[in-house]
Amino acid sequence: MIAQATILDDLSAIVGGKHAYPADESQRFAVDGMTPQAVVEPGSYEEVAAVMRYVSEEGLAVIPLGGGTKRHIGNLPARYDLALSLSRLNQIIEHEPADLTVTCQTGISVPELQRRLDIHGQKVPLDGWLPEQPSVGGVLAANANGPSRPAYGALRDFTIGMRVVTADGRITRAGGKVVKNVAGFDLCKLYIGSLGTLGVIVEATFKVMPVARLQRSVLLSLDTPGDACALAADLYRRGLALSHVQLSGAGDEAEYSWLLEIGVAGSEGAVERSENEVAGLAPGLNAQPAGSDVSSTDPFSGEHFDDSSLLCRFSTPPSRLAAFIGDVQGLESPVVLAEPVTGVVRAAWPETDGAMVLERAREIAARHSATVVVERCSPELKQRIDVFGDPPPAFELMRRVKEQFDPKGILNPGRFVGRL
Amino acid sequence: MKRSGLIRDLQAAIGRRWVLHAPEDLLVYEYDATIDRGLPEAVVLPEDARAVARAVGIARNHGVPVTARGAGTGLSGGAIPCEGGVVIVTTRMNRIVELDPDNRIAVVEPGVINLDISRAAAPYGLYYAPDPSSQKACSIGGNVAENAGGPHCLRYGTTTNHVLGLEIVAADGEVLWLGGKTADTPGYDLTGVVVGSEGTLAIVTKVIVRLLHKPETTITLLAIFDAVSQASRAVSAIIGKGMVPAALEMMDKNTMEAVEPFVHAGYPPDAGAVLLIEVEGLKEDAQEQADAVASICRDLNAREIRIGLTQEDQDRLWAGRKGALGALGRLAPSYYILDGVIPRTLLPTVLDGVYEACERFGFRVANVFHAGDGNLHPNVMFDERVPGATQKVLDLGEEIMRLCVDAGGSITGEHGVGYEKRNYMSWIFSEDDLEVMSRLKAAFGASEMFNPGKVFPTSKGCGEVSSRMRAAIAKVGADAYV
Repeated sequence: MIAQATILDDLSAIVGGKHAYPADESQRFAVDGMTPQAVVEPGSYEEVAAVMRYVSEEGLAVIPLGGGTKRHIGNLPARYDLALSLSRLNQIIEHEPADLTVTCQTGISVPELQRRLDIHGQKVPLDGWLPEQPSVGGVLAANANGPSRPAYGALRDFTIGMRVVTADGRITRAGGKVVKNVAGFDLCKLYIGSLGTLGVIVEATFKVMPVARLQRSVLLSLDTPGDACALAADLYRRGLALSHVQLSGAGDEAEYSWLLEIGVAGSEGAVERSENEVAGLAPGLNAQPAGSDVSSTDPFSGEHFDDSSLLCRFSTPPSRLAAFIGDVQGLESPVVLAEPVTGVVRAAWPETDGAMVLERAREIAARHSATVVVERCSPELKQRIDVFGDPPPAFELMRRVKEQFDPKGILNPGRFVGRL
Repeated sequence: MKRSGLIRDLQAAIGRRWVLHAPEDLLVYEYDATIDRGLPEAVVLPEDARAVARAVGIARNHGVPVTARGAGTGLSGGAIPCEGGVVIVTTRMNRIVELDPDNRIAVVEPGVINLDISRAAAPYGLYYAPDPSSQKACSIGGNVAENAGGPHCLRYGTTTNHVLGLEIVAADGEVLWLGGKTADTPGYDLTGVVVGSEGTLAIVTKVIVRLLHKPETTITLLAIFDAVSQASRAVSAIIGKGMVPAALEMMDKNTMEAVEPFVHAGYPPDAGAVLLIEVEGLKEDAQEQADAVASICRDLNAREIRIGLTQEDQDRLWAGRKGALGALGRLAPSYYILDGVIPRTLLPTVLDGVYEACERFGFRVANVFHAGDGNLHPNVMFDERVPGATQKVLDLGEEIMRLCVDAGGSITGEHGVGYEKRNYMSWIFSEDDLEVMSRLKAAFGASEMFNPGKVFPTSKGCGEVSSRMRAAIAKVGADAYV
């Protein structure tokens, strides 16, 4: 292992002394309690490539980081020598409003990108999780889709191009800048959700959409998750102007309260009609209006849940969602946030014996044909589990993909599915 | 090993009846809807994934490649066995295995015809959104291979946006599932890379597709313009206003002239271009969008706007568009269908360039295309009997592809790279970009096992057959689509 001082000298030669420094005590770059020897902040794609060539030659383990808001996702790093911060790569490269596309560097935060697009009445259909400032790159690497997915698509649907620096330090392009393109393998899909294990995403091109003229939310209080899911399915089937539908629940063994947040967006006529239909259907399900104080914060952000919590993300067949939630609710009463249309559920247990709860949560998931990923848990528990669960059927193929893209195992080693 | 051994092994594994090897039988499988040809050594029609796996294993043992074939409607030579070997035809694998209206998904075999999924889903108010113009004939397996598009992909995206999971047979003969029935599945999105890989990574044996609820209201508008430039400005203006209709198609004068005698769509003989625009959604939204679109078209000098509110009226407005390619066969002995993409704001200038180039080369061109997403389809008319015409039309095609790439676009929007455009790949991707793609091929262990000679630039041709066959560009008849 080469000395920290040498690493810093070598990196300074690439990015300048100001942008290569020892990781401080602030834990800003810590991942599951591990601190790297050095932090490097390249100012250009060429510098990212030079850094990657260097770490590849030296065999250092590198974790690319943007806003650092998703560090809790993934298995324990097998090694962690260098934090590769993309914070200086935060420019919008090209925004042609009339083409409905934008190209940006991935160190830009999602709220900042949205603010810049909003000037032109446009947005990327990414849900902003305030107060956190996730970077575009982090959201792509973690495939962090929010509740507006059924309405506007997932990251894999509206990401049309990327620039990626490979493990051996080459700047490559995937996809393109036009909205329709089938030339070559669609590598963007591969990089999205790969948790920085296949390359460093330094630039992305998205389809953008106009900001809806009217965006409002209806909040309903319901007795059971079953009623909520039935209502959501009905609203979706009617094709109403929904921007998102999200069900949240919290309580104890004695009582749970369920809130269904229904976002409506579009023309005045469509929004009004949608609201009216919601109002018309609600009484039949004993749903009560619960004000309109909708919070855009992520209830599961680090503010409310730290690493002593267990946070799991489930993906259920939507038809099983209500029954699934019922079962999970019986398991030490977690806080639940669900998307009835996609069947994605997140459940958090603030203080718990993670191992026991996780084991039972996985049993429940298996019963309902759902997938499970642990998004947050204590480092102790992480040492004992694979946060992605048993390897998927195509794991051997995934291992070979990793081997091809990162033969030396230097990009986020150990953190992905099956500890790739 | 000898060909007879290959055939014997395939017969033993798949059944004699389902292995074709007589020259007259093989001829049927040497072409698709493009201009290239390649003769397979054997054609097999397996009934399920296990049989596909057996066929792949046998081909591997005999050291010959495998090319999958669906309905053979492809427009980039995807189903043509450039280097011979075994063609696996999915026709018998045509079952809708599962239709789950509650979860809005269907599990289908690759030989299922695109439109049949929507037909099966219709009783539940659901449909499968990607709608290649060949949807009455093309198979979902071919759609997956080529990441097929269609008019309504403007709003709903192409095949890749509607496929959740795949069962594949890998090069080593293993049958495995990628993705799944739920919105998220852990691990790399291998489904996303197999879709659109043009049959080079694996053979797809089942597809999990997403179904959508039918929209409440559909309004179709046909706007007639004096000139193409006006129509393309209208397209740019509609998109520029942030509107994304369900479909936004353009047809030029040459197309209308060809279509009119058949379809009697009532296009004025002196009109320069029409736009076919469809808006969908809640009736409030659809009406508002239709009004806005109509007003933009009027401001840009549309001379007439026809509106279809009923299914019958809409079908009539679409008839000209849907029959366009078949009708074009009337205008010239042959035509060459191009597929390129440009940023939508550049539509007026690039279209000018297309007409200019065609004129300079001395060919008539009919443009009928997905204007809303900048996906051009110039159809160049020519007579292959004129000496040198074929080479000239290919040169013209190359120049038009250059126009697209120079405008910041792509060499294919929905037809695929295939054989014909593989050497243009280096116009839009660097050697490093292509090398990274080839790593994926290595990971799949596919190397040259599946559909060799496609997608990637190489000096190797579609055999000697190719240059000869290129000289005889296929006549495309009434059953052609774009």
